[in-house]
Amino acid sequence: MYISTKSRYGLRALSNLLGQDCCSVKKIAQKEHLSPDYLEKIFSRLKKAGILKVVRGANGGYVLNNEAKNITLKQVIDALEKAEFSCPNFCACNSKSVWQKIQAGFNQVLESLSLADLDENEEKEIYLDYAASTPIDPEVLKTMLPYFSQKYSGNTMSLHSFGSKSSQIVETCRQTFAKILNVLPKEIIFTASATESNNTVLKGIAFANQKKGKHIIISSIEHDCVLESANWLKTQGFEISKISVDKYGLLNLDELKKTIRPDTILVSVIHGNNEIGTVQDLESIGQICKDRGVYFHTDASQSFTKVPLDLSKLNIDLLTASSHKIYGPKGSALLYIKTGTKITPLLHGGGHEFGLRSSTLNLPSIVAFTKAAEIATANFSQENKDLIKLRDYLIKNILKSIPDSFLNGHPTKRLSNNINISFARVEGESLLLELDFYKIAVSTGSACSSSSLEPSHVLLATGLKPEQAHGSLRFSIGRFTTKTEIDYLLKVLPQVINKFRQLSPFKK
Amino acid sequence: MYSQKVLEHFRTPHNFGSMDNPSTIGQVGNLACGDVMKLYLKIAKNSKGQEFIKDIKFETLGCAAAIATSSVVTDLAKNKTLEEAIEIKNEDVVKALDDLPTIKIHCSLLAVDALVEAIYNYYQKTGQKISPDFEKKHNRIITCQSRLKH
Repeated sequence: MYISTKSRYGLRALSNLLGQDCCSVKKIAQKEHLSPDYLEKIFSRLKKAGILKVVRGANGGYVLNNEAKNITLKQVIDALEKAEFSCPNFCACNSKSVWQKIQAGFNQVLESLSLADLDENEEKEIYLDYAASTPIDPEVLKTMLPYFSQKYSGNTMSLHSFGSKSSQIVETCRQTFAKILNVLPKEIIFTASATESNNTVLKGIAFANQKKGKHIIISSIEHDCVLESANWLKTQGFEISKISVDKYGLLNLDELKKTIRPDTILVSVIHGNNEIGTVQDLESIGQICKDRGVYFHTDASQSFTKVPLDLSKLNIDLLTASSHKIYGPKGSALLYIKTGTKITPLLHGGGHEFGLRSSTLNLPSIVAFTKAAEIATANFSQENKDLIKLRDYLIKNILKSIPDSFLNGHPTKRLSNNINISFARVEGESLLLELDFYKIAVSTGSACSSSSLEPSHVLLATGLKPEQAHGSLRFSIGRFTTKTEIDYLLKVLPQVINKFRQLSPFKK
Repeated sequence: MYSQKVLEHFRTPHNFGSMDNPSTIGQVGNLACGDVMKLYLKIAKNSKGQEFIKDIKFETLGCAAAIATSSVVTDLAKNKTLEEAIEIKNEDVVKALDDLPTIKIHCSLLAVDALVEAIYNYYQKTGQKISPDFEKKHNRIITCQSRLKH
């Protein structure tokens, strides 16, 4: 018996089809780090053997021709190679009967195992915390690695050819982002994190425009890096107003209009909320800010490449986007600054990034962030459609199978990857830890899991009582999430909730 | 972040659930803070005629530390006389769990408070004398509780 690479890759690739409606060869090849052409050859052989069939159309690809439990590993291996154990010289050698016995034993084992076993025997680790950080896309990693070599070791500010080569690459990256956002390349600066971009905006606009006024407006559901920057500015004599949101997390636009004053210098509103996924109406907010002559910044860390952003059509002066939320590496982000915006840099030094952000540029990470954005933009419509389908499937089934659970955030104006649900009479940290034992990674808005022991300010801002915020879980899905994983979560979650409801002194 | 001991008690808590006809109940914490603990005690007399905790059960809504400290306090209190039980300190709970993260120490206090309250309620119900020290302990707990509610 001989099992070659073909069979091993074949079985690995097939495991991706378990529990799936359909999956394209490209997607599987990407996940399993295989060449799509090679995988196509394997799959077409399996199709000939009747193990797979083709599905045409936009969601096209291969599917299993039979239930996984009815396809034995022997069938698969036989289809891909001649699976025979025999004497090396194919003659009736002395040991022939032993080889025949081994062959029979092997066949028996391979016939007793089916594709369904591939699924069950796999150590399942289910990552549902893509909003916290995404795994790096293998394609992105591949693109990034050569840029660590000596060839690209130059500082972009150096005049020699090493420096100019690096500098040219950065400019190409800048152009790519400019094209994606429909802005000018010189309006993009690269930073090391969304936190840095947001700090630059809040502090940079505040200090550059304080002659005009010292009033800044943010929403009540900002990420901590905007909120804490604003809190710090308060200690520097700036005044901060927070605009409330409705029960879905949508900004109160009338309140915004009323709050803008002659001395208001900046409005900063998060685009897609990191906790509840609510997506704000940037067009209306931008229009209000434009009419009143106030800078408008949006933190698009979660929404970038998930919601189309054509900045030529939106009145946005500053925008933050981040690499590690879109399958790029951590430590890379950008800030869009519209030409003519008065802003003071956070980092002073060698004058990189048009003098707005001194620091030697992190070439591999910028290249990788760019690649990640290109992939996400190219796959936008299909990926978003798939995610929304999976997201709504998960929401619908949790609400159906678990009593006293309710959705946080907006039912439709929400990020394609965000699911946030509160469960009555349970506490989020204990749910999170219990799910971790099942190797399912999620996040919670409970105070008990935060360092401040305060429940999520975002959930409270939508009008939730503290106990409802404590009982919240955020599931965030992504490119590599499968329906099998979601079904497994749906199997485990009711048991977990039930366990802690049994423990609770509050019974229904 | 949590010790193995905490995770063990959290995953398979000891003495959890409600109790039919308990001798007394102690409940502390509140929903807004995220932790509520309820202890049920069955009290009987031992051969020397002292009252002791014959059975103890808990119900807790809260984080892993809250559940683990509740579980441990039931272990520590079970079969102890009431006089011994009121001497259990939150340090004992922390020690039995091989330490707790600093930010979660308040959970161990909550567990001990629930026990104190259960015994206090029992003394009151049965008309037994309450020492000034014990009265003080009880007062600290209820002031703390009412402060938390606002």
